[in-house]
Amino acid sequence: MKLALLSESLVDETALRVLVAAVVGRPLKFASPGFRARGWPHVMQLLPAVLRHLHFNTDADALVVVADSDDTAVHTARHEAPGYFHPQCRLCQLRAVHRQTVKNLAPARGREQVLRAVGVAVPAIEAWYLCGREAAVTEAAWIEGRETGRAPYTRAQLKLRVYGTDRPSLPHAIACALREVERQRHDPRRLEHDFPGFAFLAADLRAVPNIH
Amino acid sequence: MIASIAFRNFKALRSTRVALAPFNLVIGPNGSGKTSLIEAVMRLKTLSKLPVAEGEPRQKSGGPEIEFTFNAPHDGLTARLGCISDSVCDTLRISPAHAPGWPALRADLGGLRSYALQHEAMAGGARRDDGAELSPSGHNLAAVLAHLRDAAPAEYAALTAELLRIVPEFVGLEVRERAGEVDFGLRLAEGGTVPADELSQGSLYLVAVLALAFDPEPPCVLCIEEIDRGFHPRSLREVRDALYRLSHPQAHGLSRRPVQIITTSHSPYFIDLFRDHPDEVIISEKHGRAAQFARLSDRADLADLLGGSTLGDLWFSGILGGVPEER
Ligand SMILES: [Zn+2]
Repeated sequence: MKLALLSESLVDETALRVLVAAVVGRPLKFASPGFRARGWPHVMQLLPAVLRHLHFNTDADALVVVADSDDTAVHTARHEAPGYFHPQCRLCQLRAVHRQTVKNLAPARGREQVLRAVGVAVPAIEAWYLCGREAAVTEAAWIEGRETGRAPYTRAQLKLRVYGTDRPSLPHAIACALREVERQRHDPRRLEHDFPGFAFLAADLRAVPNIH
Repeated sequence: MIASIAFRNFKALRSTRVALAPFNLVIGPNGSGKTSLIEAVMRLKTLSKLPVAEGEPRQKSGGPEIEFTFNAPHDGLTARLGCISDSVCDTLRISPAHAPGWPALRADLGGLRSYALQHEAMAGGARRDDGAELSPSGHNLAAVLAHLRDAAPAEYAALTAELLRIVPEFVGLEVRERAGEVDFGLRLAEGGTVPADELSQGSLYLVAVLALAFDPEPPCVLCIEEIDRGFHPRSLREVRDALYRLSHPQAHGLSRRPVQIITTSHSPYFIDLFRDHPDEVIISEKHGRAAQFARLSDRADLADLLGGSTLGDLWFSGILGGVPEER
């Protein structure tokens, strides 16, 4: 069982490895070094190439991709209906690119396709880090804020709360992120409950054969 | 430190003013005034060492002029450089004349530093007594490291730890002295040491940037040209962090006063790192033979633009300006 990870920074990658292991219930092997994108549009641009590379050149079983929602539409249960696609939802967009890419690839290395494990952090991955520490930080709170036109917090505020500064050094940011995700290491259910965008990632992971 | 610089008829900077933040990344095409900005700062340093000019300016009107304002505690003080030509500035006037804060400001200005690091220069050895302050090309890097090791062992240890964290294939920094000469190398995990003249360009630039970042007595303003030079794009975050250590010491748990940074880059990957701090990016734009500065954060539609692209790509595309003119 081998996973690959596409993220925006070493901070995200380090924390996501912990969160993925928390869902699966055991440490996992990750392709190293991880794949890196430079922000949202770049994740979408890179995804087909990363999937193609993993499919033909590696023995990876699944690709973990997590993006920040920023101010875009949040993926809800309604989007899960068969055939539904919300053009402004990043989770729908990532799933669509995965689907379209892998369907055109011939089987390779004994598998049909590289599976997806896609999540979207609302509005940013720092909100996931704060889960269990700040009860007011939830996906529902963000959605309500969007609907009422009063955002409960900004992305910059979330970063400040996690890192204590708006200019953290890389080692400091990694240490802060690891300290925060430690709360989820043995039981990610709270994170899945408060952040459906993480629950969709967890569901994808649990659907990977032989992952447990 | 420096709050703003206004230019009149200085090289391509015909009539423009730039407000400076604690950290300033200047991006733009060649010849758009990035280097002229740094040159102006260094002329201020040179002229601040001379007696202040009194009386009326003797330059003919319309000649090059550069005017500096400063942050607290020197707000209200203006320093004006008068130039005979683009290459010769020969007078410094301050206002108000005889400002009581001038001696202290002048002492700070005397310590301004500017770098155009050269890996060929840094790869060679140096004389042991040529240490303490890194030279503009970095040619005395080995001596600076030797000086730091002896005079500030805590900073030297922190520099070494940071270096080895960033380049984990190495396990030690070695500074060797022989008969007044000094050189350095990096010890490999598998044994053996790579001398400076065999290190990659990126490793040499990294050691130099860290030597500046861990300087126990940094200047109040530090200018570095082409900061991305020699670095792998994935390492640029570490380079930015090293500079932030100087410009935002509190964010790094340090209590010393901030160092104002003015740096330039042509790397979209480095520029990407300022997505959350567009107030730190200055775009230099060239129209014909005249160049102007603008703050990226003054761009009202920036947030919307960033929803669909990276900052570096926006700059490369030309949407933000600061790209070479084409026929
Ligand atoms: Zn959706």
